[in-house]
Amino acid sequence: MPKQEKTNKIDCKLVMQELKENPYKQLNIAFSLMVIVPFLVFFYLLINRLFTLDVLIGNTGFILATAFFISLCGYYIVYSILKNIFNTILTYAAQAKHSDQLKSTFVATVSHELKNPLSSIKINIYNIFAGLIGQVSQEQKNILGLCQSTIERMTRLVNGLLDLHKIEAGVVDVKRNRLNLAEISGKQIKEFQTLAGKKNIRIIKEFLDESLFVWGDEDKLSQAIVNLLSNGIKFTPENGTVTLKIYPDDKFVKLECIDTGFGIPGDKIGMLFNKFERLNATKEGTGLGLAITKDIVEMHRGKIFVESQVGKGSKFIMVLPRDLRSIRR
Amino acid sequence: MQEKIVKKILIVEDEKELMLGLATLLKSQGYLIIAANDSLFGISLAHKEKPDLIILDLGLPAGGGFYVLENLKNSVGTFDIPVLILTAQQGLDLEERAKQMGVVAYFHKPFDPEILLSQIKEIFNDSN
Repeated sequence: MPKQEKTNKIDCKLVMQELKENPYKQLNIAFSLMVIVPFLVFFYLLINRLFTLDVLIGNTGFILATAFFISLCGYYIVYSILKNIFNTILTYAAQAKHSDQLKSTFVATVSHELKNPLSSIKINIYNIFAGLIGQVSQEQKNILGLCQSTIERMTRLVNGLLDLHKIEAGVVDVKRNRLNLAEISGKQIKEFQTLAGKKNIRIIKEFLDESLFVWGDEDKLSQAIVNLLSNGIKFTPENGTVTLKIYPDDKFVKLECIDTGFGIPGDKIGMLFNKFERLNATKEGTGLGLAITKDIVEMHRGKIFVESQVGKGSKFIMVLPRDLRSIRR
Repeated sequence: MQEKIVKKILIVEDEKELMLGLATLLKSQGYLIIAANDSLFGISLAHKEKPDLIILDLGLPAGGGFYVLENLKNSVGTFDIPVLILTAQQGLDLEERAKQMGVVAYFHKPFDPEILLSQIKEIFNDSN
């Protein structure tokens, strides 16, 4: 397929541009140096007059010439093999890069194209619900309410997909500022009080210090905390508690979100941070929240763990470096 | 008796269904609505009608939202009309660029109609 080959060649060039050193250039230099060796031997023999007419005509001359020829052939064969290997590796790298780019473009376009029709549906349903088109019965309002919550779920899904795509494509701009993790968490706890109150869930704040600083992006870290709190509240039955604990630990700050929820079976914990993984399909969610949280934490060179006991609850532990300079790359 | 001045809003949006929904919503609040479905028509309506507010989409045919914005902000007759952006396009750089160009509010689609309404009311209160 000429078109595919052309794309691969362009991608090969792009892959080459990303490499610090041009492998072909280095290969050529190495082999040029190696080819010089037989010539040097030949000149050595010539300069020292070891290569007289008698020697050249005799058996020794024949053996030397054959050795010279064979060594050059050998070099050429090894050179061709290495060049073929390089070409194959670069083509595979180019194909991988191309398919990654196609996937990213696809996700971004689809998500973007979904937002316009979603906006149309949302505003028109709102207009009907608000009675702007005509009188609406309570029964009709209930159904419209269901449509509205479905739209909200789709919106979260599209936004989640876009966030994940941006993080995985490495196009997220992370602004690193000195942040007080306790302050950010405090704000998020306030936001969740109403939601928790509806289920009579108590959010307990256990901050060892009111100023626990990390270097990070406020929006992204807030999103990670929101995801943990929202999961905690979602999976905790009525009258339960969700505790947010923050404390320093050597060069790190640890944030723990502990709930008294249903807990996660041991065999499911490994899948928890996978995309679209919903352990409890009856609960509303996109299955992207924890995948995004993990990406955000890793973006800050931190780690996230889970400890859980079925029937007792779960503990999500987020470990963030206090100062990125102390973390080895 | 003082006559109530009806505020005129120009919607520049190429998604027909969204434009109709927005028009219904804003009409219900007593605003006068005019609409354009591409950049050039939007610019010409803004110059002709001199609305009190422009609701502008960024992904528009015939130039795009930033082209409209640049034209409006560089024209004597339209530079002071407040512009509110509604967009499905993502990117902090877009929002920053729009705000640097004098946009008063920036909404990501799909937006909350109630928040949009309160923002519009706030814009009109500020301009009064």
